[in-house]
Amino acid sequence: MTSESLIKAFFSSNALVAIVVLGLITIFLFREGFGFFGQNLANIRLYRRAGLEYVDIIRDQAQQQAALSRKLGEIRQLELRNAPGANLEAFDQFTGAFSDSGEFLDALVSDANDQALALREAMIASGASVAASSTTESETPTTAQAVDPKTAMATLRGADEKFPTIAEAMKAKIDNLLSTAPTLNSPKAKKAFENWKKKTRDYLANFPAVAQKLRAWNPDEPVSASRAISSFLFGTNWITASFWQDWYGIIPLLVGSIMVSLVALLIAVPLGVCSAIYVSEVAAKGEKAFIKPYIEFISAIPSVVLGFFGIAVVGQAVRALSQASFMKWVPFFPISERLNVFTAGALLALMAVPTIFTLAEDALRNVPRGFKEASYALGANRLQTIARVLVPASLSGIISAVLLGLGRVIGETMVVLLCAGNRIAIPDFTQGLGAFFQPVHTMTGIIAQEMGEVVRGSIHYRALFMVGLVLFVLTLGINYLAQRLVARYRMSIG
Amino acid sequence: MSTIAIATKATKRGHIAEGFVFTMFRIGTYFVLLCATYIFLDIGIKGGQTVFQKTAPFINVKFLTEPPQTLYVFDYQGKKMELSDREFREWKTTHKEDVDVTSVSYSAGGIWPCIVGTALLVIGSMSLALFIGISCSIYLSEYARDGRFIRLIRVAILNLAGVPSIVFGLFGFGLFVIFFGWNVSLLSGWFTLGLMVLPAIITASEESLRAVPQGLREGSLALGATKWQTIRKNVLPYAMPGILTSSILGIARVAGETAPIMFTAAYAMRDEMPWQVPHWTNFFFQGVMALPYHIYVVSSKIPQNEYTERVQYGTAFVFLVVVMLIALTSILLRERQRRRLSW
Repeated sequence: MTSESLIKAFFSSNALVAIVVLGLITIFLFREGFGFFGQNLANIRLYRRAGLEYVDIIRDQAQQQAALSRKLGEIRQLELRNAPGANLEAFDQFTGAFSDSGEFLDALVSDANDQALALREAMIASGASVAASSTTESETPTTAQAVDPKTAMATLRGADEKFPTIAEAMKAKIDNLLSTAPTLNSPKAKKAFENWKKKTRDYLANFPAVAQKLRAWNPDEPVSASRAISSFLFGTNWITASFWQDWYGIIPLLVGSIMVSLVALLIAVPLGVCSAIYVSEVAAKGEKAFIKPYIEFISAIPSVVLGFFGIAVVGQAVRALSQASFMKWVPFFPISERLNVFTAGALLALMAVPTIFTLAEDALRNVPRGFKEASYALGANRLQTIARVLVPASLSGIISAVLLGLGRVIGETMVVLLCAGNRIAIPDFTQGLGAFFQPVHTMTGIIAQEMGEVVRGSIHYRALFMVGLVLFVLTLGINYLAQRLVARYRMSIG
Repeated sequence: MSTIAIATKATKRGHIAEGFVFTMFRIGTYFVLLCATYIFLDIGIKGGQTVFQKTAPFINVKFLTEPPQTLYVFDYQGKKMELSDREFREWKTTHKEDVDVTSVSYSAGGIWPCIVGTALLVIGSMSLALFIGISCSIYLSEYARDGRFIRLIRVAILNLAGVPSIVFGLFGFGLFVIFFGWNVSLLSGWFTLGLMVLPAIITASEESLRAVPQGLREGSLALGATKWQTIRKNVLPYAMPGILTSSILGIARVAGETAPIMFTAAYAMRDEMPWQVPHWTNFFFQGVMALPYHIYVVSSKIPQNEYTERVQYGTAFVFLVVVMLIALTSILLRERQRRRLSW
C-alpha cells in the first residue's frame, strides 16, 4: 500500500510544478525588479541635488526656442511648395535672426550643464548622495575634493540672475523681429506663420514665470518616494547610458507595444474570424480538410523567421508601396523608415490569425445544432443564420479568441525586435495615422535588446525586470479575462 | 403584386447578399493562405540556392557541416575572390601582396554548430518537459478528484500557457543563470524551454489519457491489479501514441523560440563544438549556438547585402524546413490518430 501512495505522491508533486513555476516567475521578477524603485529614487534625488533638474528648466526654454526655429523651416517649405518662385530673402533673414536670438540662452545652458555635471561627479565621488536623505548637513565633503558642492551650487544658481537678463534681451530682440516680420504669399504658409507668431508670443510671455520658477527651485526639497514609481509608470522617457540623466519611463515602450498590437489585431481579427466562419459554415468538405491544417501549420512558423522575412521583404515592400505614385494622396506617404509599427503589426497579424482562427472555429462549432436548425426552419437563409444566430451565440468565445490572440501578440518578441524599428520615442501623433508608420520600441523588444548588455544589479538591469513584470501582469490580466469569458460562454449554452 | 413575388424578390436579394459576403469570406481566408505560401516560397527559393547546388552531391555539404566564418571579399588580378577565414589565411601564405579586403562576418562557412546546438536544446528540454508533463497529467486524469487544489493547478497551467516567452527568458536568467549560478549554459536553456512548453504537454497528455475508455481501467482493477499496475499496463500504453504525437508540436515550439534562450543558453559565436569539453560535467554548463538565435544575429547585427543574404536565407531555410517538417508530422499524425482512435 505504501508504494501505491508513494507513487501517488510522486505524481501529485509533479502536478504542483505548474503552480511552483508560476510562483517562482512572480517571485523572481519581483526579487530582481523591486530594488529598482529604491535605486530610481536615489537617481532622481541626485538629479535634484546636483542641480540637473535646475539646468533642465533652462534647457527646456532653449529647446522651445530651437523648436520654434525649426518650425520656421517647415513654414519655408510650405511657402515654397504652394507659391513657387516667391522671394524668400526677407523670410530667410528673419529666420536667421530668430535662430541667432537664442545664442546667449544656449551659452547659459551649456555653462550650467558643465557645472551641474561637475557637481554630480563630486557628489558621487564623495559618496554622500546615493541613499542619503536630502538634508543638507548630512554630507561632509572631503577637503581634497576638486569641487566643493556648496560653492558649485552657488555658481550654478548664478543663473537665477543671468536668466532674466538674457530673457529680457531675447524678448526685446524677438519683439523687434516680430514687428518687422516679412509677409508670405501662399495662404497656407501665411496661416502657419500667424500660428507661429502666436506661439512665439506665448513663449516670450512665459519668461517671467520661468525666472520665478528658477528662483523658487530648491535643491534640498525632498523627493517624495512616489516619484520613483510614477516616473516609471508614467514617465515618457526611456533614456539609458546617457551622460546627463537616465530616465526609466515605461510609457514609450507601452505605447509602442499597444500600437503594434492594435495594428496586428485590426488585420488579424477580421481575417481570423472571416476564415473561421468560412471554414465552419461555408467551405466544402474538401476545402475544409485543406484549409484547417494549413492555417494550423502557419502557427508553427518560428517568429524569428517571420521577423527576418519582415526585414528582408515586407519592410522594403511597405516603403516601396508608400513611394508609388498612386499612393500620393495619402498625406504621410512616402514614409522614411522601412521598419515601423505597420511592418511589425502586419507580420504579427499572421501569427495571431491561427490563434484566433482555431479558437473562433471551436466556438462556432460548439453552438448546438438545434440553434442552426431552428433558424433554418423559420426560413432564414445561411447568411442570416450566421449573422443573427451563430455569431451571437458564440460571441463570447470569439471575443476570448481575440483576447488570447492579443495576449500572444503583445508578448511576442522576435518580430517586434527585428521589425518595429527600435526607436525609443512616442510616435508623433500630430501626423494622425502617420504615427503608425513610424518606428517604435516595445516592452518585449527592449528586454531582449538590452538585457544582454546591462550590468547585473544595476538600476538599468532592474528596470528591465520591472518591464518584464508589467508585461507579465498585463498578459495574466488578458488571460484571466479570456478565461472568464469562456467560462460564461460555456454556461450560457450548456 | 402577390406576396409570393415579394418574397421571391427578397430571397433573390438575400441570395445576392449571401453570395457577396461568402465571397468576401473566401477571399479573406485565401488571402491568409496566400501570404503564408508567399513566405514559404520566398524563403524556399532564395534559401534553396544556398542549401542546394546544381552539381553533385546537389546539397551544399559545406554549408551544413562547417562552422560559421568571416567572409573576405577582394579583387585579385582582376578576379573577384570570396574566401572564408581559413581559406584566406592559407591564401595569404602563398600570396604576399597587400589586397584591399572587405570582411563580412558570419557569411562564410556553414551552420553546423547551430544545428547541433538546437538539437541538444530540443532533446534536453523535451525530455524534461515530457517527464514532468506526463506525470502531471497522470495525476490530473487518474488520481485527482475535483476540488479546490485541482482547480488551482488547472488555473496555474492555463496562466502559464499565456506567459510571454521573453518573460520565461527573464525568469530563467534570474533563477538558473544567476541564482543557481549555472551561467549561460545548456542546463539553463533546458529548464527554461522545458518549463515553457510544459502547459502544452500537460494539456495534450491529459487529453490522450482521458481518451482511453474507462472500461479498460475498470477491467484491470476488477482483476485485482493495483492502481499503478492499471495505469502502467492498461492506460499508458494506449495513451502513449497520442501523447507523443501531440508533443511533437511542442518540439516545434521549443526549436522555434528565440527569446527564452537569448540570455540563458545561446552564444552568438563559439568555436568549439559542444562535445569538445575538458571534462564531461562541463558539457552541461556550456552555452551553445542555436539556429533561431543565429538567424536573429545574422539578420540584425550585420548589414544586408549580396554576401550576407546567402547565409541569412540559407539559415532561415534550414530552420524553417526543420520546424515545418516537425509540425507537419505532428499535424498529419494527429489527423490519422483522430480517425483511428474511436473506441
